[in-house]
Amino acid sequence: MKKVVSISLGSARRDHEVTVELLGQTFCISRRGTDGDFERAYQLLRELDGRVDAIGLGGIDVYLRAGDDCYVVQDGLRLLQTVKETPVVDGSGLKNTLERQVAYYLREHTNLLPSGCRVLMVSAVDRFGMAEAFSQLACDVTFGDLIFAAGIPYPIKTMDELKEIARKTLPEMCKLPFHMLYPTGKKQETQDEAKIEKFGHYYHQAQVIAGDFHLIRRYMPHDLQGQTVITNTTTAEDVEFLRHCGVGTLVTTTPEFNGRSFGTNVLEAVLVVLLNKPVAEIVEQDYLELLDRLNFRPRVLGLN
Amino acid sequence: MATHQEITESLLAFTNGYNANQRLIVMNRDWDRVILIKADDLPSEHTLILNNGELTMREGGVDNPDLIVMANSEILADMFYGDITPTEPYMNGTLRITGSEDDIVRLDFISMLIWGE
Repeated sequence: MKKVVSISLGSARRDHEVTVELLGQTFCISRRGTDGDFERAYQLLRELDGRVDAIGLGGIDVYLRAGDDCYVVQDGLRLLQTVKETPVVDGSGLKNTLERQVAYYLREHTNLLPSGCRVLMVSAVDRFGMAEAFSQLACDVTFGDLIFAAGIPYPIKTMDELKEIARKTLPEMCKLPFHMLYPTGKKQETQDEAKIEKFGHYYHQAQVIAGDFHLIRRYMPHDLQGQTVITNTTTAEDVEFLRHCGVGTLVTTTPEFNGRSFGTNVLEAVLVVLLNKPVAEIVEQDYLELLDRLNFRPRVLGLN
Repeated sequence: MATHQEITESLLAFTNGYNANQRLIVMNRDWDRVILIKADDLPSEHTLILNNGELTMREGGVDNPDLIVMANSEILADMFYGDITPTEPYMNGTLRITGSEDDIVRLDFISMLIWGE
């Protein structure tokens, strides 16, 4: 049996373990949260290195892509470099392939993403493939990167402006402690009521809310009216939370295993094992071909 | 060591850079803040005031600022001229910023939007 473990800076309450069979191979996939404790994450990564088949790094990004530019989150890189033997990935490879495809799938097979559809991406630089797909599909997209990461009420409306602002800010922002830019640990279990009050109208105005689940959750108003949420890493408890907030449809980009949609880092780690190639040699086309063979489809779940 | 006058000139460059950027003015209309800039190696204080998106600077300190930015005079002058970014001195402790974490991140973003690239 192949062993894949995700070490996450997120809450340990979200830990999960499943056994699944994919393309004739049996996988034991588990997720271990460290409640935002970097030292604990370093320790677990060192313990697992050389003892499992692949490691996913969750609750933190390592590589952020905007167009042809790639920015490296220093806190994430330090974690990644702790692992010397086992293949380790952060999910960014899949965000650029699988999640891009999800938008096209929804356009072709559902009525959830019509042309002109108002989409709020709570953060786009961590999901550039999806952001680009929404724009190419002529959606009316609001990129909330400045709103939710920096508290600046400035909706970015075009890919060009997104890339320009990313180019100016990300090289330095990537050096800051990650917790200043993204909710880690216990912050993932609470909501920021001040920002919900201040920025909740961006959620209300959107028909589709997309992006990282923890960011979506942290700033989500409680009185939505049937909006669609496109994300992943949702637990059964998260689904209930979304239903309670008035979300109409949940789309998860990664497949559901035992009621749980894992993060892209976990799935990418599984794909790395299936590909049986060094991570550095894997190209986008490898993921695309494998995803095709696996026949993964987004989960579309009506909540009301 | 930079002089008080050099810090003043760097802050004027920063203020001019900010006010020339219409997008920044729009971005900060909701963020009225008083920021004390204080050198720790010479008696030099300045105050930046953000009001309705516009930024003004005056020499001298202020009571009860929302943010305090403190470093040696050289770092302050270099930083407000855009010769160095705030991130490295902030991370190594030679630049100290007192205020809410949200305000600190926002100030960092503004600096990057003025001087970034």
